[in-house]
Amino acid sequence: MRNVAIIGVGYTPVFVSKRKDVNIVEMISEAVDAAFHNTNLSPDDIDALTFGNMQTFEGLNLPHLWAADHIRALDKPTIRISTGGTTGMSTLQAAYYQVASGLHDIVMAVTWEKQSEGDSQVGLAGIVMPEAMVMVQNGMDLFGGKGMGGMGGGSTGAASYQAMSYLHHSGASPEHIDKMAALERTNASKNPYAHLRKVTTVEDIQATPFISWPLRYGHTCPTSDGATVAIVACEEKASKLADQVAWITGVAACTSDPTTANLIEGQITDPAEQQPARIAAEKAFAMAGIKNPRKEIDMAELYNGFAHQSLMWLEKLGLCKEGEAHKMLDKGALDIDGELPTNASGGVFSTNAIGASAMNRPAECALQIMRKIEGGHQIPKKVKKALAHGWGGLFQYVTVMILSDEPREAK
Amino acid sequence: MIPEVAEVSFEMGPETRQVQATWDVTTYKYKIEGRGMKILCDAMKEKKIRGIRCNECGTVYVPGPGFCRKCHIDIDEVVEVKDSGEVGTFAVEMADMRGTPVDMERVTAQIKLDGADTWLGGTIEGIDWHDVKIGMKVKAVWADNPEGKLSDIDHFEPI
Repeated sequence: MRNVAIIGVGYTPVFVSKRKDVNIVEMISEAVDAAFHNTNLSPDDIDALTFGNMQTFEGLNLPHLWAADHIRALDKPTIRISTGGTTGMSTLQAAYYQVASGLHDIVMAVTWEKQSEGDSQVGLAGIVMPEAMVMVQNGMDLFGGKGMGGMGGGSTGAASYQAMSYLHHSGASPEHIDKMAALERTNASKNPYAHLRKVTTVEDIQATPFISWPLRYGHTCPTSDGATVAIVACEEKASKLADQVAWITGVAACTSDPTTANLIEGQITDPAEQQPARIAAEKAFAMAGIKNPRKEIDMAELYNGFAHQSLMWLEKLGLCKEGEAHKMLDKGALDIDGELPTNASGGVFSTNAIGASAMNRPAECALQIMRKIEGGHQIPKKVKKALAHGWGGLFQYVTVMILSDEPREAK
Repeated sequence: MIPEVAEVSFEMGPETRQVQATWDVTTYKYKIEGRGMKILCDAMKEKKIRGIRCNECGTVYVPGPGFCRKCHIDIDEVVEVKDSGEVGTFAVEMADMRGTPVDMERVTAQIKLDGADTWLGGTIEGIDWHDVKIGMKVKAVWADNPEGKLSDIDHFEPI
């Protein structure tokens, strides 16, 4: 298997609620152009493309084919990837596979979402539509809570179940969620590609209303318009094309039972258990030759639609012991200049163009390693090894990627 | 080193035109395996809860699927579980689906019924929401005249 590096990243100029001035493919092309600009590559250099966004969120069946000329894919192989919240990282992993296998030398991964043109609630409902129909026909009251209809309040509901279980088992308090939220929003204020960019205090978060205890409005992510592109290359080409690169040294993905859906076949279990995170992390660490992740990982970019999740993932991914994450937060270890900077970018919690969200995690890790972070969220210490994480599906699909300043040693 | 692209100041251009469109989800025809749901609903008519147990690993699913997801074998042993159990996790609804604050907080929970390995959703009443705890024992309160529907469990209350 060949070594593969991220040689450049391109973002849309902004991530915002509504890009009314461009259509979907015009917006995507901005990130593609930025990636070409940042790598000094031209479309002729690209062997193949992968393309990812959420199915049904914008009501488009074949967006990669509509976008073909805008992403400069004409005459080239292009595969669309759609794995829910993890789409962005799955799209990058699909590009990785093609280069690692030796099939192609340079592949471009294109990820995006333009949530303002779609209906995220319809997109989410589409995931469980058949069983929801069955449940309603059998007496479930979707909104009244009777007949197993207690969803806890929309999409935040299932996350509230997860947050409650996490708090109970970790010993963290709801105030720790407020504190993590304030930290990440403040990090986002330094990131020009973040959506919600305001220096935020714990008091600001606590002034927002509860949606579903223990989660407040201030604990939830925005819906964003934006796109992110990464270009990966084989070792031979990477060293010729770029001065600074970030090596992808470990990739893994893992699924389990849905845990929060499929009520018609008895699949509901603890949404805070997240066994796939542990399995995927262990596999990625082994592939990257990491023996002691708590010591060796310098930073983490975690997929957190909700603020409690950053703390939860640190534990589930093995970056600290169970019940320790909130103590690290209290110590300042998760700050940008801390021991384990966590979501220095502000995380999904501050910017959520869903299809791009799990791509922004490894993209941010790569830029941190290359020391090419724009804005003020560059981690001061030298970043040698970084963990990027994606999460989604019906609460049960996890992707992990390890990035490094050095390629994996030949075996 | 900051790449040049960061220096390009960005301004939103003029708003372009928009068209409205819909997808009608009611036109889809989904095939489902409804046996476990029928077993459960039939039991609820008698104020009972039944699922399906795997003979191989002993896992009890409520409602039951036609096969065990751990052992990958067909399963059909109908078993009754208790209508009491413990709170697996819970949330307190304070706003509706569109974000409007509700008049009264409602506790919704996932409950691990005694004898079952999966969780069942429901509301908890008869207790101040501040006092609800994970692990707390609760019992189903049934509708007076059960009709064989999921709504036959009106709510759960603390034991």
